[in-house]
Amino acid sequence: MAISRTSRRIAALALLALAATACASEKATGGGAEAPASGDGVKTGPGVTAGTISIGMMTDLTGPYASFGKSLTNAQQLYFEQVNAAGGVCGRKLEAVVRDHGYDVQKAVAAYTEIGPKVVAMAHVVGSPMVNAVKQRIEADKMLTIPQAWATSLLGSEPIQVTATTYDIDMINAVDFLAKEKGVKSGDKIGHLYFEGDYGESALNGSKFAAEKLGLELVEQKIKATDQDMTAQVAAFKKAGVKAVLVSVGPRQTASLVGVSLAGGMDIPFVGSNSAYSPQLLPTPAGPALLKDFYYMTGGAPIGSDLPALKKLADDYKAKYPKDAIDSGVSAGYTAAGIVVDALKKACESKDLTRAGVVTAHRSQNAWGQEYGGTMDFTVFDKPASLRSYVAKPDKDALGGAVVFKDASESDLVKEYQVPVG
Amino acid sequence: MSRSTLLWSIALAAAAVVIPFYLDASWLQDGLFAMAAAIGAIGLNLLTGATGQLSMGHAFFLAVGAFGYVYFASLPEEGAHSLGGLGLPTPVAAVLAVLLAGVAGGLFSPIAARLKGAYLGIATLALIFIGQFAMSNATPVTGGHNGRPVPPLEVFGFVFADTPDAPLVIAGVPFGALERLWFLGIVLLLGAGLFARGVLRGRPGRAMNTIRDHEIAAGVMGVPVARYRAGVFVLSSMYGGLAGVLIALVFQQTVPDYFGLLLALSYLAMIIIGGLGSVAGAVIGAVFVSMLPRLLTRYSDALPLIVQPGQEGVGAAEAAQILYGLAVVVVVLFLPGGLLGLVNQLRLRINRRVASAPAAKHSLTPTPETRN
Repeated sequence: MAISRTSRRIAALALLALAATACASEKATGGGAEAPASGDGVKTGPGVTAGTISIGMMTDLTGPYASFGKSLTNAQQLYFEQVNAAGGVCGRKLEAVVRDHGYDVQKAVAAYTEIGPKVVAMAHVVGSPMVNAVKQRIEADKMLTIPQAWATSLLGSEPIQVTATTYDIDMINAVDFLAKEKGVKSGDKIGHLYFEGDYGESALNGSKFAAEKLGLELVEQKIKATDQDMTAQVAAFKKAGVKAVLVSVGPRQTASLVGVSLAGGMDIPFVGSNSAYSPQLLPTPAGPALLKDFYYMTGGAPIGSDLPALKKLADDYKAKYPKDAIDSGVSAGYTAAGIVVDALKKACESKDLTRAGVVTAHRSQNAWGQEYGGTMDFTVFDKPASLRSYVAKPDKDALGGAVVFKDASESDLVKEYQVPVG
Repeated sequence: MSRSTLLWSIALAAAAVVIPFYLDASWLQDGLFAMAAAIGAIGLNLLTGATGQLSMGHAFFLAVGAFGYVYFASLPEEGAHSLGGLGLPTPVAAVLAVLLAGVAGGLFSPIAARLKGAYLGIATLALIFIGQFAMSNATPVTGGHNGRPVPPLEVFGFVFADTPDAPLVIAGVPFGALERLWFLGIVLLLGAGLFARGVLRGRPGRAMNTIRDHEIAAGVMGVPVARYRAGVFVLSSMYGGLAGVLIALVFQQTVPDYFGLLLALSYLAMIIIGGLGSVAGAVIGAVFVSMLPRLLTRYSDALPLIVQPGQEGVGAAEAAQILYGLAVVVVVLFLPGGLLGLVNQLRLRINRRVASAPAAKHSLTPTPETRN
């Protein structure tokens, strides 16, 4: 009895195995992967069919940058919708493929493997550790990728396009701003509070360079992303007698730093990197301190500026997502989507919508983004696309919680600066 | 080996061979993560499940394995961040990396031999923080925060990587890095599993279980408790190192952030969910913990009440996290023996039904034999 059941099972298994080997695998391509040309004579590759162009987004919807990631995703979907309403690109509709990585490297690698083969470009990838983890694959795939991080380690790769300035450029312009408008002069001490890691160290490169050029003494304080209370750092800055502090940390640490400093009677200017400020800080107890003498540097214009393109974006965004707050992710995402779509349009003109074709088309533009308040040069990839930073100041009533304090400018210092690559 | 085990092994082996021919790269990658996790979890289960020694530092040994492999196998690199490396043949580097993890475990074993239970757990926690600090700051070895690229494994001229210039095509299916690594993963997991089974079923396994259940009794019976504890710790570190090497090969880039506390905790979750103290439990738990969130993320948009990413409401990613959390709670609450306990229970029940059915037939329903 038992034997006959077993032999029946073996027979069934054998049949199953036969059936499995007999039915053709979808993966079987015979090895020859020819780039198919579609009916309209445009060369296409992965992510492009006769009717749609798929664009990936690897974002953070559940991790520490969830609100930023959500704004980015919303804004990019808004951009694609508007392009589709106007007829799409190359006669094709744009389609977003979104994956959340929750700021987890393994999830990001898994997400790239999953959606990478299905998309022609990545409209945004949140986090420089995540971009670095898939950098080799991005390069092998020639996938145009816009990271939402501005560390210099992301430079030097042809398909990866860091938007506008890197953190070090912002900090050089910040020191220049302090010297010109806040009375910091040779021999003075300035502080720099920064995160360990890519972001902080990129920024530190800039401040070190600028401080040396202007004869300032830099007081460094390195913290971890998990540190919350800045009392000890404030004490150290106070003891050193700094005249101003540069801030390359997260919004929470910025709030603590500025709040504690002011409460302790250290009434000096603070200048942050673009990731140091968030409008969500204004309703907190640190709000009044931030409104007093805090500024932040940004390569892209803050959404509260009066550029017509950004005003229109703000209105459209509010109409589509009435419940969502507007932060820097909205303009950053929208601009990044614009970069990708313009590359696609250019690639369409030269009838080559393969990934390599898109990267080539993208790299042929040298003055992109006038309407968003800063031109970017995409023809070189071992230098930042722009050297001009805005000085923005928090403002309770402004859209996105900040206004332009000083228009985008490129300091003389930054022209001499050699950007470390990789 | 019983007939049904043999059948099951044949079926599993057939599935393992056929899968790379049908499933796409992202499935293979998830499978490989699960295999690497399974190897690591087997090691942790030897330590925590079988010997009763809690370790929160398992992620550290994975990191030692991963970074060890990269350092041994890479050629030194000059440039802005000059990176060191020994440039050894990659299989040698892999073996050395596993040994290095063992040595790291050995260095910690004086502590591991003296402490037990939660005390050891807290002590191993320190490893995570030391590891994080070392990985971020020993830039010439680890590449700093961004990690460094992992050289592909090459055994007798066969490269476990994508080779666009000379593609390998088997039965019409192009064999890239993941397809090739799949088979490597299967072999490693099989070897790791069989070795651990041998340890658990033999004399050392009994000694380990006795230490877990009653330390004094074990000592009275002549088991050298401290030596066993230290030895198991070293062995478990080597399993961690092997898992680290495999993960590095799949990632193609080592990233220090990955080897944090969260990873160590997820390994503990694996063995608890799967079933403490056995190889099969560790494997089941590893597959469950590493695949469930991925499956949920991939398919949760088919569930009701789930919105598109970025919209107001519960998105696919959040839903996956919630469901994963729920699943963990349900397993811990209702399945004291873990998933393996559930499997065994089901098997028992089926066997009983199958065994009782013929008997009932004889007594109640008339058959040609019973009729007259």
